[in-house]
Amino acid sequence: MHLRALLLTLLLLLPGLATASGPLTIAAASDLRFALDEILDTYREAHPDDAVRVTYGSSGRMTTQIMNGAPYDVFFSADIAYPQKLRAEGHAVTEPEVYAIGRIVLWSNRMDASTMTLEDLTRDDIRRVAIASPTHAPYGVRAKEALQSVGIWDDLKPKIVNGDNIAQTARMIQAGGAEIGIIALSLAEFPDLAEHPHHLIDDALHEPLTQGFIITRRGEHNETAQRFAEYMNGDTARDIMRRYGFVMPGEELPDDATP
Amino acid sequence: MSQSVSNGLRIQARLERSGFALDVDTAIPLEGVTALFGRSGCGKTTLLRIIAGLEHPPGAEVHFGNTVWQSGRAFVPLHRRRVGLVFQESTLLPHLSVRSNLLYGYKRTPEPLRRLHLAEVADLLGITELLERRADQLSGGQRQRVALGRALLISPDLLLLDEPLNALDTQTKREIMPFLARLSDKTGIPTLLVTHAPDEVERLAHRVAFMHDGQIERLEPLRDALARADSPLFRDEGAVSVLQGTLGEVDAHGLQTFGPPEARYRVPSTPGVSNGAGRPARLRIDARDVSIALSPPQDVSILNIVPVTIEALDEAPGHHGPARVLATCRQDDGQTLMAELTRLSTERLDLQPGTRAHALVKSVAFLD
Amino acid sequence: MFELSPTDWMAIEVTLKLAIYTTLMLLVIATPIAWWLANGRAPGGLRTAVQALVALPLVLPPTVLGFYLLVLLGPAGPVGSTLESWGLNHLAFTFQGILIASVIYSLPFAVQPLQQAFANLGRRPTEIAGSLGAGRLDRFFTVILPMSRGGFIVAATLAFAHTLGEFGVILMLGGAIPGETQVLSILIYDHAEAMDFASAHRLSLGLLIFAFVVLFVVYAINRRFDTVRL
Repeated sequence: MHLRALLLTLLLLLPGLATASGPLTIAAASDLRFALDEILDTYREAHPDDAVRVTYGSSGRMTTQIMNGAPYDVFFSADIAYPQKLRAEGHAVTEPEVYAIGRIVLWSNRMDASTMTLEDLTRDDIRRVAIASPTHAPYGVRAKEALQSVGIWDDLKPKIVNGDNIAQTARMIQAGGAEIGIIALSLAEFPDLAEHPHHLIDDALHEPLTQGFIITRRGEHNETAQRFAEYMNGDTARDIMRRYGFVMPGEELPDDATP
Repeated sequence: MSQSVSNGLRIQARLERSGFALDVDTAIPLEGVTALFGRSGCGKTTLLRIIAGLEHPPGAEVHFGNTVWQSGRAFVPLHRRRVGLVFQESTLLPHLSVRSNLLYGYKRTPEPLRRLHLAEVADLLGITELLERRADQLSGGQRQRVALGRALLISPDLLLLDEPLNALDTQTKREIMPFLARLSDKTGIPTLLVTHAPDEVERLAHRVAFMHDGQIERLEPLRDALARADSPLFRDEGAVSVLQGTLGEVDAHGLQTFGPPEARYRVPSTPGVSNGAGRPARLRIDARDVSIALSPPQDVSILNIVPVTIEALDEAPGHHGPARVLATCRQDDGQTLMAELTRLSTERLDLQPGTRAHALVKSVAFLD
Repeated sequence: MFELSPTDWMAIEVTLKLAIYTTLMLLVIATPIAWWLANGRAPGGLRTAVQALVALPLVLPPTVLGFYLLVLLGPAGPVGSTLESWGLNHLAFTFQGILIASVIYSLPFAVQPLQQAFANLGRRPTEIAGSLGAGRLDRFFTVILPMSRGGFIVAATLAFAHTLGEFGVILMLGGAIPGETQVLSILIYDHAEAMDFASAHRLSLGLLIFAFVVLFVVYAINRRFDTVRL
């Protein structure tokens, strides 16, 4: 009799198992949050009939989910390596396309980071330095590379605290878990954080943060996916991206001109 | 009565547990009260549980008369065997009233099968005033009586009692005994009583199955069980005789006669206990309360002096050492009376099997 | 101050649905398991193994559990691919999927209080009820349930509360799809990520107050039952 009740419950769930079609679902790395939110606002104004929604998260997790059937149509990753993997394993229907180059910065809401260099991080008055996870967060990997390049990684290790992803890292610094840290330029440009100046880290110190996107197999026949991909390449989107400190492929940051 | 009575309750079971191995192959007549007597751990409760269907040992055979309860792959679950169960702890359902507890099984008994009803059972067990109380407001003795009533109200084919008096204090036990004693007679339901207390066997049983180490050593009528000096019933507390007889009139001294003229006793009548003349009763006589005289003494305070023939002289049970002798005597009405004597007295009086003598019985107890 | 966006309301609805369905399913699933563990006849070794198995979700990090379920229920896994071959959708990123995850994740919270209650009850009451002619289901509703009411209440409460707070498993398996698998805890996290702390505070406070009220009411009812029962 218990079995019958259980079967009944399962039967009630069955209707939901039928195939569902929905709006355009975008998966995007958390460092894109503010930039992409703004782009989506403008996109919706331009294409009011298209339903678009976005989920932000860690690129690694979302890649795993896509490999296991996640209902994402387009995936904007913080590191092009993930879309490349998806393409190689047959989960993507387009070649990974670079949509931005990310930059890392030194940032703090307590100190004036713009007057500091990476080497300053070894100062005694700085007890904790936050970076994103150097094992699975692209921005964290680059941060570690930069610190290694200037030769302070080993000395700094005891002071390092890791955020799960770059957005969490920023929050950690904001909340006081660390006095200072290395975050994404795009996050540092966000109004709430921009009140505190940042120091742009020389991109020669680390591998480039090539950010790429793909259309997934699920999004293959989704016209909105195509439209949005094109929109990302358009001027409006690129302007917004630039404003948030992303470097467009083939371009340079104005700051870089001055060493 | 149903045909099942004639065939009895047949059980064949083997079961291994840590500690002992149960190995039983027996048929118990489905009439009156059969006591399953033995030490703790001898397997009597396990046997009861197999009969009830609470244990399901593979390969066991349990037949209630013509009905198969367990045989090969066939197994009738507990709730389909019409068996009344009373355990040591009454386990009344605490969220129900006494009435609801009593009626729990009654409601689940098909109407045509209901022979016993609430009013008469409550009356039989003296629990009518308790009906509206909650189960957790009763004393231990009251709870056991309600548990008995509850079992009776399903009009069971068989009543299984697993040490029902064990958890009660002496006073309460004494109060409940009469109810238990009346049960079998009044309801006609065959009963299996698991117990390790000889006095319960003596008061309540018609036959005894002696169990030891997982086996039934002997199954015999109570009378025979009491006639053996080496009876396990005597092992702990010494020998006891149970006499059956009819009660006579109560005289001006408050004494009542018991038994036929050739084996007559005068016993104090208990005020309050209904002692109608002509009623059958049972007397329990401790062997230690019986002395032997070769000729009937004249000026002696003992009232009950009964002529007997010595049948056997054995070492007295329940003692250490050979200093005491148990004399098995036969009254003139054929019943057995045991007397515990010193070896010295036995020799001094030169008592032999066949010797005629007189038994002096100092005190008796009613078993009702 | 208490304005909530449509997304917020959707998350609340999903969360409540999830918690209620999980609790109901768990009461059905956990009861026979708990009874078997408490009063069953199986050999001790087997029972211990099952007990450990039931307790596993307590030990595994939620994201790991979520990952295993994702692989299992997704199109690449045994369950998901079987469903797909039948023409149905796989279970990852669906409400049904996170419901299954929820049930597994909160299983020990339902089984353990029930097991405790059943062990305290022992087999004796059901044996008596059986001798009085009550079949298995009858015994459950007229004896076991009323006599272990406390255990059921605790089990249901813990399962409900635990589900309200689930995060890692649901995020991994569910993908945070609004209206489908985006539960309150994930939405609160998302608001925080987006620096929308006002929304995060609103929802958190609401969740806390709600949970507190529910727990308070349940425990109060439970105490009242206990005193009546003496």
